[in-house]
Amino acid sequence: MNCEESKMLLADYWAQTLSETKELEFDAHIASCEACRAETERLGALWTSLAKIPVEEPSPALRSRFYDTLAAYRHGLESAPKPSWKDRILALWPKQPAFQMGLSFALLAIGVGIGYTAKPGVKTLEPENQEVAALRGEVTNMRQMVALSLLQQQSASERLRGVSYAVQVPSSDTEVLSALLKTVNQDPSVNVRLQAIDALHQFGASPVTRTAVVQSIPKQDTPLVQIALIDLLVDLKDRDSAPELSKVASDDKIDAAVRQHAQWALGKLQ
Amino acid sequence: MAQVGSGDVAKMAVLFERHNRSLFRYFVSLNRNRELSEDLVQDVFFRMLRYRASYDPNQNFTAWMYQIARNANIDQAQKRRAEVVGIDEFDDRRDPSAGPAEVAEKNQDVTILKRALDRLPADKKELLVLARFQDLKYEEIAGLLGCEVGTVKVRVFRAMRALEEIYHTLLKDARAGRDGTNGV
Repeated sequence: MNCEESKMLLADYWAQTLSETKELEFDAHIASCEACRAETERLGALWTSLAKIPVEEPSPALRSRFYDTLAAYRHGLESAPKPSWKDRILALWPKQPAFQMGLSFALLAIGVGIGYTAKPGVKTLEPENQEVAALRGEVTNMRQMVALSLLQQQSASERLRGVSYAVQVPSSDTEVLSALLKTVNQDPSVNVRLQAIDALHQFGASPVTRTAVVQSIPKQDTPLVQIALIDLLVDLKDRDSAPELSKVASDDKIDAAVRQHAQWALGKLQ
Repeated sequence: MAQVGSGDVAKMAVLFERHNRSLFRYFVSLNRNRELSEDLVQDVFFRMLRYRASYDPNQNFTAWMYQIARNANIDQAQKRRAEVVGIDEFDDRRDPSAGPAEVAEKNQDVTILKRALDRLPADKKELLVLARFQDLKYEEIAGLLGCEVGTVKVRVFRAMRALEEIYHTLLKDARAGRDGTNGV
């Protein structure tokens, strides 16, 4: 192997994609050639150092913009006028005159045939309705996915947006409910927890929600959040939570304002 | 991506989560403009959405995505050339890493390496970014650039040589500056 040939192998050498044979030949060459060995070491060190250049990360705005635009795109798809039967048939019409004539005669024959057999007032099922229903389903799935994804983000403002998407999913969605409850219990931002509690109104029908809310109150460390949880129970008219609320009202470890609020709530729930 | 092709646009969100950061890194390595790079990432995903019918499931997805990314970058560059006249994109006076505070940084050599990479001619820089940061194989890069894989490897070698030259020049300048022999 000569110097020229060994230089051609450097790219593979750095990427560690040299075959065993080639690697042996390469090693043999640089062992015997000072210039090539020196260059291999210098450029190799530079190649390694490139990995030390700090990786740039996008701002949280990138994700928000993407999901907003995706939602708008889906909304646009949903509300775009669907091609009518007429447009679809016209699209099928052959361009060649000979074929056009042949098709016309065939259609005439079929039309006459249908005329004898068709009953007035029978409508064909429009496939457009099926498409819209399918699209609606996809939009719901997307909202769910967006909510779940945003609720896990580092930035509080993104998690807040996740909560606002969560409000738009059907109240039977257990995955989103679960994520919201987790947010209420574990989110580092008080604001996000408060918004999530608001969102739970949507899911109030589920016994899971009510139980989780009641159990969350003594575990919270912020009086504001505890009061919001108590308010939620009152809004949901959850009389079953009365025993737990009594415990809160008499628990010395809990903030006085919260205890008072629990007492008030007990009055409202009777 | 084939699922996106069949109309399930929501799956694009999954692709976004998987690829948005590496795409951002690609663009910001080339143009050092964070805002523009975010715009470009957005642009690429929506081009993929619009052109999803043209995606061939037998084709490597990353190759297709980078094809679109390169086109988006070229389109943007052309638009910007038409708007912006005479501003050196890599003017050190605007480069935040060239301020006096940064000169005292421990990792100064890496900062200088980053500047050296910025100063490479665009085609050499892109090649190194694709090979070193985007984890593309040489065969994939060859497909992307429309050349032979052997050519790619030779070009990578030459790009590294060019990078070394610029890096050492900048290093020398930086050290002369520190030693106060710059005469400014």
